[in-house]
Amino acid sequence: MSDSLLSPVAPRPRQTGWLRAIIVLTFVALLVFFIVAAPAFATVSNIRSVLLNNVAPLAIVALAMTLVTRIGAIDLSVGTAIDIACLVLVTLVLHQVSLPVALFAALIAALLVGVFNAFLVTQLGVEPFLATLGTLFIGQSVQQLSSNGGQPVYLLSQKLPDGFSAIGHGALLGIPLPLWLLLLVALALYQLLHRSATGRSLRVMGEQYSVAQHSGVPVKRLTALAFILAALIAGIVGLILAANVKAWVPLSGNAYLLNAIGASFIGATFAPSRRPNVLGTLLGVVLLSFIANGLLLVGWNFYWQQVATGGLIFIVLAVGALRARRHS
Amino acid sequence: MSDITQSAPVAAPRSVRGQQWLQHVSLLIIVLVLAVFAWLSPIFLTVMNLGNVLQQTAVVGTLALGLTLVLSGGGLQGITGGIDLSIAANLGLSAAVFASQLNAGQPIAIALLLTLLTGAAVGLFNALAIVWLGILPLLATLTSMNIAIGLEMVLTSNASVSASSDLQNLLLGNGPLAVSWLGWSFLLLAFGVIALSRLTSFGLRLQAVGSHPQAANAAGIGVKRYQGLSYVLCGVSAAIAAIASVSLLSGSSPGANDNLLMVIAAALLGVVFSRRLVPTLGGALISALFLSLIANGFQLINVSSYWINGVEGVLILLVVALTALLRRRQSRRTQGV
Repeated sequence: MSDSLLSPVAPRPRQTGWLRAIIVLTFVALLVFFIVAAPAFATVSNIRSVLLNNVAPLAIVALAMTLVTRIGAIDLSVGTAIDIACLVLVTLVLHQVSLPVALFAALIAALLVGVFNAFLVTQLGVEPFLATLGTLFIGQSVQQLSSNGGQPVYLLSQKLPDGFSAIGHGALLGIPLPLWLLLLVALALYQLLHRSATGRSLRVMGEQYSVAQHSGVPVKRLTALAFILAALIAGIVGLILAANVKAWVPLSGNAYLLNAIGASFIGATFAPSRRPNVLGTLLGVVLLSFIANGLLLVGWNFYWQQVATGGLIFIVLAVGALRARRHS
Repeated sequence: MSDITQSAPVAAPRSVRGQQWLQHVSLLIIVLVLAVFAWLSPIFLTVMNLGNVLQQTAVVGTLALGLTLVLSGGGLQGITGGIDLSIAANLGLSAAVFASQLNAGQPIAIALLLTLLTGAAVGLFNALAIVWLGILPLLATLTSMNIAIGLEMVLTSNASVSASSDLQNLLLGNGPLAVSWLGWSFLLLAFGVIALSRLTSFGLRLQAVGSHPQAANAAGIGVKRYQGLSYVLCGVSAAIAAIASVSLLSGSSPGANDNLLMVIAAALLGVVFSRRLVPTLGGALISALFLSLIANGFQLINVSSYWINGVEGVLILLVVALTALLRRRQSRRTQGV
């Protein structure tokens, strides 16, 4: 397993605040441009809609990714966990299984994807990139076979159990449920990663894997924990998707993959430690979501949005890499 | 790097027997699978069908050869090693350029030139991002993948572009043994690239750069130049594959990125056919053909094509797990000596 994800040498940063300032200024300038050019951008309803529909699911996936990238690994199969959770929930609801049981089963199914990854990585010694790629492949086959090549499974709205659509649209204290879920996941992950002894071991694994190993950190157990938790967290997004769309659309979870990885590394660029972290990831997701929304509102078509988002992620990565190079 | 042994899987002479065992087993598996297909379907082993398979392999096979260069030059350290995730998106973008140029009535020479330039430009972008800026290959090429997909959609409005030219007709026409010229060209390209990498110092140096950058640097090899070049060549391979793809499909169509996993699978499965357990061009060629044969065989014996991804996934995991096991045993032995 490789020692670290970003760079093997990671001293504290010095005197490169201006590089970070460039990124911040660019984003601020973009936001000002959107506010001026698109009157609909800075409205409460737009912000609410972006937070609910874009930020919440992406942020949950990106947090799952952050847990894995922080230990120096990667999980390409988060989309598989999302899809499998969605598939199980929709299928069980379709067969009139009670909602709590269906939700529980869906999360267990997502968790099993993580268990499979953890088995491959820790027991068979497969590189995380290849292991999760294999899982992604197998997940695709499973979905194609169970959907006759990718036919969505729709739920008829009159037969839905009580509370099903509440997962996607319900609100508590005026805040939509998906945002509560996000808050819960973010707080739990922050606590685990940044405020607990386990978290410190996880972070050390990401910085100096062999040092962690030689100091008696149970690296295998913690790697397994990271992959299993990541899949479980990604599974939550599957539940939200199922409730929002009232359908299982095969292979739809992969759409989050690039942005989740991008957000976790944008977050790393902002952090003093230059490692993926919970707050940075949330910031990255907010930036990505509002920029995509802004580009849409100023009239750019979807195709150019894709190019622009890619370009922006690239700039952030480039600045991060330049900063890393100055330190080493 | 703190741990040199991990980045440099140096072969220990004693373990060669173990690796040969892996090679024999994988060859045996291939023969067995082919035998089962041949037994179940009388058409499978006919020259016509095999020619058809060869033609179907042209696109993925060419990409797998390109990706192999990147894998050899960048090393196999998982996340920090060499990888080009943009290769299939580059195929789509290059195919879109080729088809839209032909569609707009441009002469074939200009269309070909622009296509090759497009592929090389994406490769150069990757090379600069990875070698010059120092972004992780995985992240850099994930981004360029997104940009290439976006540009393809901008160019084609996410629709198919039909194209016809004499070159396409020629490539699809039958050559000797009722195998299309496209199939022959692919074989010629593959053997040409393999021969070049063996006869010139390029292939050896690229492997040296990938398996032990510090040692290669000390030996006076321009590590960055070789790694950068591997990404550019990978981009060119995407452009060549695009020409094959436009010929096969009579145009370009969205969704070229779906080839990515298959290409990675082919390039990685190639590891089994090398004694040092590294990706090789010959190995990539054999595995690409093998994957096509599986797809073709499934089709002939009426097994749903939805199984193919899963079978590929299991194969990758099997190969990589076995390789990891052998490597571990190897390093244990070298440490014991």
